[in-house]
Amino acid sequence: MQILPFYLLCDESGSMSGDSIDSINGALPELHHEISTNPTVADKTRFSLIGFSDSATVLQPLVDLSDIDEVPALAAGGLTSYGDAFRTLLRCIEADVAALKAEGHEVYRPVAFFLSDGIPTDSDWEQAYKELTQSRFCPKIIAFGIGEAQESTIGQVANFRAFIQKDTSVSPAQALREFASSLTRSIVRSAGSIAADGGNGFTLAVDDTVPGFSTVSLDKL
Amino acid sequence: MSPADGADVPLGALTLGIRVGDGGQGEVYDVDGGPGRLLYKSYREPRKVDGGELGALVALRQGLAPADRDRLDRETAWPLCRVMDGGRVTGFLMHRAPDSMTWRTSRGDTRLTELSYLLRAPKAAWQAVQQPSPAERYALVVAVVELFQWLHALGLVVGDVSQANVLWTVRPGPAPYLLDCDGVRLVGRPPVLEQADTPDWHDPLASPGSVTVDSDRYKVALLVGRVLGQDAYAAPGTPLQPLPGVLDDRRENAVRALWEQAAGPRGSRPHLGQWRTALAGRDTIRLLAAEPPPKPTVDRSKFDGPRHRGRIPLRD
Repeated sequence: MQILPFYLLCDESGSMSGDSIDSINGALPELHHEISTNPTVADKTRFSLIGFSDSATVLQPLVDLSDIDEVPALAAGGLTSYGDAFRTLLRCIEADVAALKAEGHEVYRPVAFFLSDGIPTDSDWEQAYKELTQSRFCPKIIAFGIGEAQESTIGQVANFRAFIQKDTSVSPAQALREFASSLTRSIVRSAGSIAADGGNGFTLAVDDTVPGFSTVSLDKL
Repeated sequence: MSPADGADVPLGALTLGIRVGDGGQGEVYDVDGGPGRLLYKSYREPRKVDGGELGALVALRQGLAPADRDRLDRETAWPLCRVMDGGRVTGFLMHRAPDSMTWRTSRGDTRLTELSYLLRAPKAAWQAVQQPSPAERYALVVAVVELFQWLHALGLVVGDVSQANVLWTVRPGPAPYLLDCDGVRLVGRPPVLEQADTPDWHDPLASPGSVTVDSDRYKVALLVGRVLGQDAYAAPGTPLQPLPGVLDDRRENAVRALWEQAAGPRGSRPHLGQWRTALAGRDTIRLLAAEPPPKPTVDRSKFDGPRHRGRIPLRD
C-alpha cells in the first residue's frame, strides 16, 4: 500500500489559550469524522498531531484515523519553540517512515501542516528547520499564521504554501476552523489520487486560497 | 415536466437548494420544488461538455419501454434531462439515490452507502453501515453483474467503475445503484466529458482514458472479486479468497476460473453472461456448434504413392 503521512504541528503556547485552542480542539473530531468514515482515504493516509510551546509533544503518534476514537487535546501554556517542533517532527518522520516500510508499505513524502499564532521565542530554530528540510524525508510544509505570527516567518517555514490570517475580517477562532477544513480537504483530495499499488504517484492537493487567510507568495520571500 | 419527457430545462427555472456533493467534474445540488426528489449536477467546465452525447443518454432513457425505464431509474442515477443556460449545457437533472442507500454517521450526517464499505472489515467509525450476511453479499454481486449485463445489452459502456460510484443496500433486499451515469457512453461514441478513471480501478491493459466493453469486463471482475473477498485491492493475477460462506464449492471453482481468466489479454476477459453462469453454480455443457467440423479422412496414397512413369513416343 502507498501511504501519505500527514503531520499537524500546532502551536499551543500561552497566547493560544481560550477561543483559539478551543477552536482547534473542536475541529479535530470533525477532521477525524470526515476521514474515518471514508475508508478509501483512511487506508491511504496516516495522521499525527504534535503540539508545541516550550517544547514539542507528540500528542497523537502517526495513526490510521479509523483506528482511534479519542485524541489528546491541545492545552495552551508556555512559549513558542519552533526549533523543538521541527526537531520532534524530524524524529517522528524518520521513525514513522521506517515503521511503515517495515509493515510492507511504500511511503510518499510526508506533508506537514504547521500552525502558529506568534513569533518563535527560541533563537536556534532556523538550525533545526535546516536539519529538517535537508533530511532525506524532508516533508512538504504548508504553514498557517494567525494572530501575532509574522508573514515573513510563516513564509520562511513553508516550502509548499503559506497562509497568513487577514487582519480584521475574521477572528482567530474562525480562521482556525477554516484552517482545519482546509487540512481535511487536503487529506481527502490528495488520497483520492493515490493508487494502492503506486502507479503514477499522486497530487498533493492544497487549497490555493483559504477563507480568512491571505496566501503568502513564497517566491517573493 | 421535463424530467418526465426529457426536454431541456433552462437553468433559470430551477430553484437550487443546498450543495450535496462536490466531485472532480462538477457539483451536485438539491433542486427545490421539483417533482420527486431531484438533484442537479452542475458541470465545473461546461465548455468541455459534449451536449449532444448527454442528449443521447437522455434520449436512450426516453426510448425505453416503461418497465425498462423503471428499472433504469431504480438502479441508476440516469440523466433525466439536460439543463441549459443561454444555449450551453450546464448540467443535468437526476434522481436522488434511494434513502435505503444512505447511512447516518454518529454525528448525524447522511452519507451514501458506497461500495467501499463492502471491501474491508467493518470499522467503528462506520458501524452504522449494516453489513450484509454472506448470502446477501453473494446476492449483491449477482445483482451488480446483472445490472452491468443489462447495460451492455443496451449498447452502453459504463467506463468508470469504482468503490465510490456503485451504491448498495440490503434493505429490504440486496440491490445496487449506479452513480455518475453521465460517464456512461454509447458503444463507439465519445464520452460526455473527458473519461474519468479511479485509482485502483483502471484496466492495466487499456490505454489511459480509453474505455471499452472489454475494460468494463475487467472492472466487473475487480468488483466481483473485491466484494466476494472483502478486499479493496484484490486484482486478477493474485489469488481470490472469497469470504467464508459466500460461495459454495461449485460456484467458488467457477468464479476462481473466471477471476484468473480476467487477468488475460484484452478480448479474452469473461463477459457478464459468464459471470452469471459461474455465480449461478451451474455446470456448463460444451456445445458442438462452436467446434470446427471434423476433417474428412484423406487417402494419402493418392498423393504420396510411388509413381511409375511410362514413356510417350512422339514419332511413329
